[in-house]
Amino acid sequence: MKKTVYRFAFTTGAVIVGILIIMIFTFLGKKSTGPIEDMFTEMGSAVTDLENSLLLSNRQPVRSKALGWFNSYRDSKKLIDNPDTVLFGIYDNHYKKSFDHILSLEKSFQFELPFIQLYSAWGDKPEEHFPIKYAKAIYSLGSTPFITWEPWLNDFNREEHDLPPKEDINKNGLKDVVNGDYDYYIYQWASDVKDFGKLVFIRLGHEMNDPYRYPWGPQNNKPQDFINFWRYVVNKFKAQGVTNVVWVWSPHPAYLLYSEYYPGDKYVDWVGVGALNYGTVALWSKWWKFSEIFGDYYDWLASFNKPIIITEFGSLAVGGERDKWYEEALTNLPEKYPALKAVIFYNNDNDNTTLSKSLVWSLNSDTLSIQAVKRAVTTW
Amino acid sequence: MLRKKDKDFWKYREARGVTNTDRFIYRVLFVAGVLSIIRFADWWFRAEHIESLPLFVLLSLITWYGIVRIFLIWLNYLKVKKPEFVLAEEGLKVAIFTTSSPGEPLSMFDKTLEACANITYPHTTYLLDDTQDPEFKKVAEKHGAVWLNLVGLPGAKAGKVNAALKMIEEDFVLIMDPDHIPFPNFLDKVLGYFKDEKVGFVQVAQTYYNQYRSFTAKGAAEQTYTFYGPTLMGLFGYGSSVAIGANCTFRKKALESIGGHGVGLAEDLITSVRLHAKGWKSVFTPIVVSRGLVPEDFGSFCKQQLKWSRGVFEVLFTEIPQHYKGLSFWQRVSYLTISTYYLVGLTSFLYFTIPFLYFWLDVLPANMNFGEFIIQGAPIVIIAISIYLFVQRWLSHPDAERGFHWRGMILKTATWPVFMLGSLLSLVNADIPYIPTAKKAVKGLSPYTRPLILHVVLFVLTLGYVIYERLTIVSEGVLVLTGDQIWGMFAFAGVSVILVIGGIFAAYESKNLPEEEPWQKVDLKKIKT
Repeated sequence: MKKTVYRFAFTTGAVIVGILIIMIFTFLGKKSTGPIEDMFTEMGSAVTDLENSLLLSNRQPVRSKALGWFNSYRDSKKLIDNPDTVLFGIYDNHYKKSFDHILSLEKSFQFELPFIQLYSAWGDKPEEHFPIKYAKAIYSLGSTPFITWEPWLNDFNREEHDLPPKEDINKNGLKDVVNGDYDYYIYQWASDVKDFGKLVFIRLGHEMNDPYRYPWGPQNNKPQDFINFWRYVVNKFKAQGVTNVVWVWSPHPAYLLYSEYYPGDKYVDWVGVGALNYGTVALWSKWWKFSEIFGDYYDWLASFNKPIIITEFGSLAVGGERDKWYEEALTNLPEKYPALKAVIFYNNDNDNTTLSKSLVWSLNSDTLSIQAVKRAVTTW
Repeated sequence: MLRKKDKDFWKYREARGVTNTDRFIYRVLFVAGVLSIIRFADWWFRAEHIESLPLFVLLSLITWYGIVRIFLIWLNYLKVKKPEFVLAEEGLKVAIFTTSSPGEPLSMFDKTLEACANITYPHTTYLLDDTQDPEFKKVAEKHGAVWLNLVGLPGAKAGKVNAALKMIEEDFVLIMDPDHIPFPNFLDKVLGYFKDEKVGFVQVAQTYYNQYRSFTAKGAAEQTYTFYGPTLMGLFGYGSSVAIGANCTFRKKALESIGGHGVGLAEDLITSVRLHAKGWKSVFTPIVVSRGLVPEDFGSFCKQQLKWSRGVFEVLFTEIPQHYKGLSFWQRVSYLTISTYYLVGLTSFLYFTIPFLYFWLDVLPANMNFGEFIIQGAPIVIIAISIYLFVQRWLSHPDAERGFHWRGMILKTATWPVFMLGSLLSLVNADIPYIPTAKKAVKGLSPYTRPLILHVVLFVLTLGYVIYERLTIVSEGVLVLTGDQIWGMFAFAGVSVILVIGGIFAAYESKNLPEEEPWQKVDLKKIKT
């Protein structure tokens, strides 16, 4: 009997100490996720830099050379905030593997698209950190990264960061941000952006006035909450000495209440807006002309006295003549909309975000539209 | 103050026993290790990690094959046990067998037989000879051994052993490898265990004295240290310690009950399976009561490994199914684990292929963040290293055997083609000729280095091509995104290439190994018991 008790105590003791050791590991692992991952990210960057200096310095850069004229813009916040020309840009869904789709479209256009857009959600996953690898790659191609930063709150591991359980994480989510719940995440982003060091456009919490789309919209938050949230994030960046961000405030113009979401001139550098024509692809959509989805709202958007950027520009092919759409949209654009300073093509050939089917926005294989774009630009 | 290390090979030694503190610390490490594996599994098996399903399944199979083996060895250490010494009864009738074949150096037998004669417990030594060389008979008689002329028997060593078993009257047989030099107290240390009527054989640690000769010899010896200490002690704890090669003492009745010693490339393993299946018990005692030779040149080492890998698989395919019913649960686990050991050749090959798949075909098996992989895998590695070092307290000669055994690791990596050949031969049931392990170094760069040189050449050519490709062909749009990944993969591939180069070095060194007969230096009078 005594022997059994002894053995039992012995084994239990060993099990408990073993569990403790792993808890320590787990704890260390979680707390150190940041630093260790950072170390690997930095190692990756260092390797890329080393390759550039040792190996690729022997290779003639083509795109960054062609974009040489853009250098003065992308390295000066002053100039980029008041550009004397309309700058193009592009989002392409293949960017994680290759920018070749972008380069080949540029070849067809015979002009470059200096902004390259990425989308990044908030959260704890590695891909939700500041995408420094892509930002660096974009810069080395002669471009400037434009990042749409979406404050989804579901991807945070609340337990790990000692946040109290919450039934609906998104309800008053922006208040939680201001409350400091996600400071560690904002801090990490800000310091990564600072490390990147070059100018980067950040479009934070876009379409915040659309009650049907994103969780940071009016269904969960009041307009003042959004303004507080915006200012909080921008101030956090400033407090960390981050000076290389161009902040893009981007409402949805179709929902007319948006002035009350404006955080103030001090906190916003550019005003952004989407301009996508879904054609007749769904019951709720119809063929809208560019002048209807952008032109009708232009005066309102211009009233903020900030440079305007079209953050998603494109048309599907269903329900109208696509090439005409592009030609009409771009012809004499600088004259018609003098405050519009940048247009980012939405070049997605597999868009599943809105409908259950995949939508093709990409222009790569649409020679008619490419010709239309080229013709229209000659009118500038 | 540091204790001076006692590295004297010619001295009786035994592993230390197992204390309660040891047990407690080990159980703690074990629990922590199991939890770390669970934690890793929880992270590994996620749909988001799948880049290509078949490749992910393959990568998972080879990774988890390795982890399961680590787990099994940890499980084994839970029962590490040292048998309590039992004094040998007087008057037992004991035979010592040692075998000689054509080509083996006579002077070695001179030494071995003299050492056998020095064994204090009364016994008869038999030389099982098929050299047809009268000098061997003379040497046997010089040392009072019985010379048995056993020419033309099938099954090499085991065939001669079986023939001799029928000729003798003794009840116990110690089978000595001819390259082993027994200590005078050998039989005193093992015969006592036979007091238990159920004990069929007693195995002692195998240790060596020619490590100094070369990198290969040192590495090959390093590979055996843990096995002849904590590993076999654990197997003994589970009632499944096996007979391995030399230095095993059998009860003749036990061998007779299974129709004699097993025949085959892994004859000792076959014999243990059969004895265990017949219900005989086995004892492993972690003592140094003899020292022998380990392969000194890379070629002989590879030959030995090929023979074992082929033979051990044969046990998996034929012996285990036949005797499965007679074995206990833990014996089944042990034999299945031992007999699948050499699959490591196949898994290593697949691991080496992964970076080349990426370089040549742009295929990645898993969509894992490398940093996360390190963070999740590190606890397993840290605990595995801790356990590896912790169990070294049960080595039979810790002062000489402790360490990271990096040479052993290099040799293990560099023998992947050999293990793979062994597993493929078993799969198609093809034979390799019986090759006795070389007792003396053989000259020339071993043919087993050809796949290794190919491995290195492939790496260098690929490296050159990738540099050329990135300078001229790869488009800018891809170039800016792939730098970290491609050089990371080269680092991954480079680790195995460095180990393989270590193997080629071992082979190169073997080429210039001066001829020597290590046993000539051994002074039997200096053996301390």
